[in-house]
Amino acid sequence: MKSVLRERTLRGPAFAIALIVVLMSLAMLVAGTSPLDGFAALFYGALGGRTEIGETLVATSALLFPALGICLAFRAGLFNIGAEGQLLVGALFAGAVGAQIHLPGVLGIVLLLGLGMLGGGLWGAIAGWMKAQFNANEIIATLMLNFVAAALALGLVSGPLKGPLATGAETAWLDPSYWLPTLLPQTRLSIGIVLALALAVFLNWLLKDTIFGYDLRATGEAPEAARRSGINVPRMTWFTLALSGAVAGLGGAVIVTGELHRFNTQLSPGYGFTAIAVALVGDLEPLWICVAAFGFGILEAGGLAMQASAQVPKDAIHIIEGLIILVLAARRYALRDTGVNAP
Amino acid sequence: MTAAILTFVVLALIKATPLIYAALGGVISERSGVVNIGLEGMMATGAFTAVSVSFATQSPLLGLLAGILAGACIGLVLAIAATRFKVDQIVAGTGINLICAGGAAYGLVLIYNQPGASAQVPALGGNYWLLVVLAFAAAAVLSWTLAHTPWGLRVRACGENPRAVAAAGLDPLAFRTAAVVISGALAGLGGAFLSIGELNLYSDGMTAGRGFIALAAVIFGRWNPIGATGACLVFGAFEALQYVLQGRVAWLSSDVMQALPYVAALIALAGVTGKVRAPESDGVPY
Repeated sequence: MKSVLRERTLRGPAFAIALIVVLMSLAMLVAGTSPLDGFAALFYGALGGRTEIGETLVATSALLFPALGICLAFRAGLFNIGAEGQLLVGALFAGAVGAQIHLPGVLGIVLLLGLGMLGGGLWGAIAGWMKAQFNANEIIATLMLNFVAAALALGLVSGPLKGPLATGAETAWLDPSYWLPTLLPQTRLSIGIVLALALAVFLNWLLKDTIFGYDLRATGEAPEAARRSGINVPRMTWFTLALSGAVAGLGGAVIVTGELHRFNTQLSPGYGFTAIAVALVGDLEPLWICVAAFGFGILEAGGLAMQASAQVPKDAIHIIEGLIILVLAARRYALRDTGVNAP
Repeated sequence: MTAAILTFVVLALIKATPLIYAALGGVISERSGVVNIGLEGMMATGAFTAVSVSFATQSPLLGLLAGILAGACIGLVLAIAATRFKVDQIVAGTGINLICAGGAAYGLVLIYNQPGASAQVPALGGNYWLLVVLAFAAAAVLSWTLAHTPWGLRVRACGENPRAVAAAGLDPLAFRTAAVVISGALAGLGGAFLSIGELNLYSDGMTAGRGFIALAAVIFGRWNPIGATGACLVFGAFEALQYVLQGRVAWLSSDVMQALPYVAALIALAGVTGKVRAPESDGVPY
């Protein structure tokens, strides 16, 4: 099937990288810093040592899960902009239960990661069910659910689920036996990133080499043809959004078990939104998304260092992400004819 | 009791006003065939610009006008993307939302030298009631314009069948551009109402999904200005309800109650099944 969805070339991502460099140089010039110093600060802050590399890979992992979830939904023609909420609910499930249970370590970890998938999957499934059952616009539904998730998490964690010693909106600490093993000693990097990479390989296989993956892509690229060929499009819709949410939710559980070791309402500085840019720059291909996530991980981790030395606020990175999305859209990353109906 | 009800009604009207402006922007854009996911960002830009111009000139009126203009400029960006480059409108709108939110956050640091929120600036004060009334007037005017003027009919034709408009010797892209710019101006006005009408500052994330609630109102109101205004009143009432209920319902914390307007919008989205029909060419580039 010829894809009307995307041009399968690297010109888009290469263009995106060039755009990032030019725009960031401009931003640095505006702030009165030499771009050379600015980029030096950025790369030193992201890759300059063990701690820095660890933080970059932590951010890579945190972006990779929601980006892979978004990739699945987009490939099915579903515009899921609710990864942020799905990630949060996944993290909440893992954190809330993790603070209470007493199980042997490995079993506990598997349970918590599973709960993360369940939470995120549930959150995605709500939007999917609304779309399949009532033809409710999934863009608005997934975004509304972000706010519902945030309000719910804040209410629960500052109330009934608040840890006995917590000062802010946080659960109690997880027992260390449920912490994901550290991958890089003396850093916060857990084996969560290995899980993310394995998931990317799995999803790549799922999309390319399975009947389910073919059906999913067919639903995205030609819903009417998919329906006529016997694919149950409504079922595909809710299942894909549930799966997409589950992947983002797993990311939330990895943040809780791998890095923070408890749930905190502030645990995502917008990973679910940045992940949209990651997925698009990665050409909606799981393996390329890994590369894109690393790139954005550098921006995320090095951004703070850049902010300190080059006087470019970290928020400027969101402008760059938005411009990348806009420019890639202009390069015909078209989702039209894909069942993304007008609201 | 009467006083409480009156407070609630007044609060509901105030909370509905920015939604109405944004929803009217959504209606005109979508009736012309362009899905405007960027309403949220246009509101944020309008809110931020209004505060900053009011800060610089000490004139809230200039701030208001600047907010409208800024919204229109972002509208023009989407319009150009949608007409000239024929991009996917939903992807482009998502990008615009990120740019606007990031831009405002960057602007806070540049202008006020502090992240999170702006300084307090001169606000519209009591005059903001005029904007509440104007919102309803704008709905009536837009409704009449779309139904009875040649321009309005042509805009609607662009949303249904742009080829027919082209066959009649007119340029559908010009109508779509105008409609999306007006849409941005209305969203900018709604944002300005939030920042220098209801309040006197801009803070990060203050639009809080209102652009998307407005889109839900467009659908619930079936792409009709009056219907969308009615839907905004319902959503505004839910937002007001959250303040009225605070402290009165023991088992529901005020944090959880913040979800009320969003839950209302979700229910509305699901509740319009089978009865809605979007403009035929809504979201389809020409």
